[in-house]
Amino acid sequence: MTHLMTILVLQLAMIVFFAKILGWFFPRYLKLPKVLGELTAGMAIGPYALGSIYLDILHGPLFEIPAGGELAISPELYGFAVVASIVLLFVSGLETDLPTFLKFSAKGSIVGLGGVIVSFVFGDLATVLLLPSVHSFMDPAALFLGTLCTATSVGITARILSEKRKMSSPEGVTILAAAVLDDVLGIVLLAVIVGISKVASTHGHIPWAHIGWIALKAFGFWIASTVIGILIAPKLTRGLKRFKSMDMIASISLGIALFLSGLAELAGLAMIIGAYVIGLALSQTDISHEIMKKMHGIYDFFVPIFFAVMGMMVNFEAMSSVWVFGLIFSVVAIAGKMIGCGLPAFLAGFNFRGALRIGCGMLPRGEVTLIVAGIGLSSGAIGHDLFGVSIVTLLVASVIAPPLLIKSFDGGSGYRKKFGGDEAAHNVQSIELSFPTPRMSKFILELVLDSFRTEEFFVQQMDFGRDIYHVRKDTITITVTLRDNELTINTQPENEHFVRLLMVEEILVLNDFLGGLEGMKSPDMMGAEIMRGLFSSPSAKSDSDASGDKPVTS
Amino acid sequence: MNLRKILTKDVITNDLKGDTKEEIIDSLIDLLASAGKISDRESIKKCIMEREAKMSTGMEAGIAIPHGKSDAVDELVGCVGIKKGGVDFKAFDGQPSRIFIMTISPVHRTGPHVQFLAEISRLLREPDARQKLISAGSDEEIFSIICG
Repeated sequence: MTHLMTILVLQLAMIVFFAKILGWFFPRYLKLPKVLGELTAGMAIGPYALGSIYLDILHGPLFEIPAGGELAISPELYGFAVVASIVLLFVSGLETDLPTFLKFSAKGSIVGLGGVIVSFVFGDLATVLLLPSVHSFMDPAALFLGTLCTATSVGITARILSEKRKMSSPEGVTILAAAVLDDVLGIVLLAVIVGISKVASTHGHIPWAHIGWIALKAFGFWIASTVIGILIAPKLTRGLKRFKSMDMIASISLGIALFLSGLAELAGLAMIIGAYVIGLALSQTDISHEIMKKMHGIYDFFVPIFFAVMGMMVNFEAMSSVWVFGLIFSVVAIAGKMIGCGLPAFLAGFNFRGALRIGCGMLPRGEVTLIVAGIGLSSGAIGHDLFGVSIVTLLVASVIAPPLLIKSFDGGSGYRKKFGGDEAAHNVQSIELSFPTPRMSKFILELVLDSFRTEEFFVQQMDFGRDIYHVRKDTITITVTLRDNELTINTQPENEHFVRLLMVEEILVLNDFLGGLEGMKSPDMMGAEIMRGLFSSPSAKSDSDASGDKPVTS
Repeated sequence: MNLRKILTKDVITNDLKGDTKEEIIDSLIDLLASAGKISDRESIKKCIMEREAKMSTGMEAGIAIPHGKSDAVDELVGCVGIKKGGVDFKAFDGQPSRIFIMTISPVHRTGPHVQFLAEISRLLREPDARQKLISAGSDEEIFSIICG
């Protein structure tokens, strides 16, 4: 037991070191997403690579493949990854803008829906047509590979759109709205697929009537728990607020997420559905932002572990036989998203260029793809070979998408002429303000975001660790970006009055703050008072104290 | 947003009294008080004057938007007054202000407070709309111009 725990903590230590270092290195030097760095760290130190090296001190390798297990890592370590995936989905749920999801633009809906349906069908069919071992469209392996084609990781797209100052462009707004729908549909789809694959593994084949029942049950559980969650969330938060401690509230909320995850699994669904549903329910309460803030530390620690552990399960040898399939599948997955999102965008009034931009923006994959693949592998629906294919798909899409997206934004408008009137309404107004220091610009950013929240806007950080925010309410979309000392706010012209008035009020708050500083003693004098006596001998110091000459730090 | 939730005919006047900034603000506060929207006049005036001291809310093109935050209100209250002859409200463009939109929002409650001000300001972008307001013959006319 002690040895087992020793190995576990050493494994975790290695994972944290390498995932964190590569997660820092990839975006900084390779301009690739952090998640790829963490995934690569797992591949490199995992049981199929460096982790298999025999170490004398341990009397074995650090990452030994358990005998007879389905997974390449120990159940204890996999437990950490499961908790990490629950944290990840709980935060995703918290970040979901439900009102926008329920009534956002028709364009976003059809693009999101098109992307999910077409890429699922493409992924599923490609598996059936190209893999001799898969015979049916309803084969669990085909269903899982189809599902993992549907997920979009909009963080990368948001960063590029922000850098190109296109976040509030018609294409940007459509992509961000579609991604909300995409996430929710992807999770529902996963719930259904997990249910179906469990039946398949029990009976060997899939009875159609049973599939319908399972799908209905999964969807019903999701809808019912979401509606109940949203209805009881205000009462729940009122109860939680009695603790008068955000630490308590955030921890108990996470506890509820873990509990519901267990219930979801008992109900025959994927665990993460429970976590997502409670996050979604709490996203509509006034404490969602505070819970999210408290979750940052746990998220930063656990989530890289999840990605690294997923990387560890990549068996390079098993993949060697499906390399070609992997590459073809990646191309099919890209085509599915481009066509599934691009075509509805084209029909909704975008020209070819606009449709291409939207298709490219929906390409990057990340968290959800890995979760789907992980669940597929642990449930036995897909083997190590197809898990490897999932990773290749993720890597190819994430590496190809950024340059394609950047290139696609060259050139003019993405709207067709006959929709010109609509385009005029989408001309983006940019308000830029520079501040003398990064701290001051960060201070004003927080003020501005808080005042958007006070106006009951939904503020979402688009990329953890970067100051890119999407601010929404009803049909209003605003993007706020902080780069070095420059704060930029983009929005449609009809919201310009609102943004300018709001900004003026916050600048006045800053002014008050600075005025307050002027009223303080001079910093030089304050510093001198703090330091006075620090290097005096004890006797001299006590004399000085006795004379009433004490440091004053008010 | 629905401006009618905040603006009713009894908080609109086309004949605002006063010839100085302070007198105009007093008249606007009277308007809110007589409509029963506020009770603590002093604290309301204090928050409005404090905001004016930081930066005048006299904008351009004859529009002024005095506003403030106060615990004396439970929800956003607002009123509109027209001073046909204009008053020096220390506007950016140095022109006299004629159209006054005043709001007071609660300190600790969330809601579309700035959005309300922005919505009316946006309506007044067009010179025609401003002219119609200034030359409106009755409070009802102003109400229908703003609230449609």
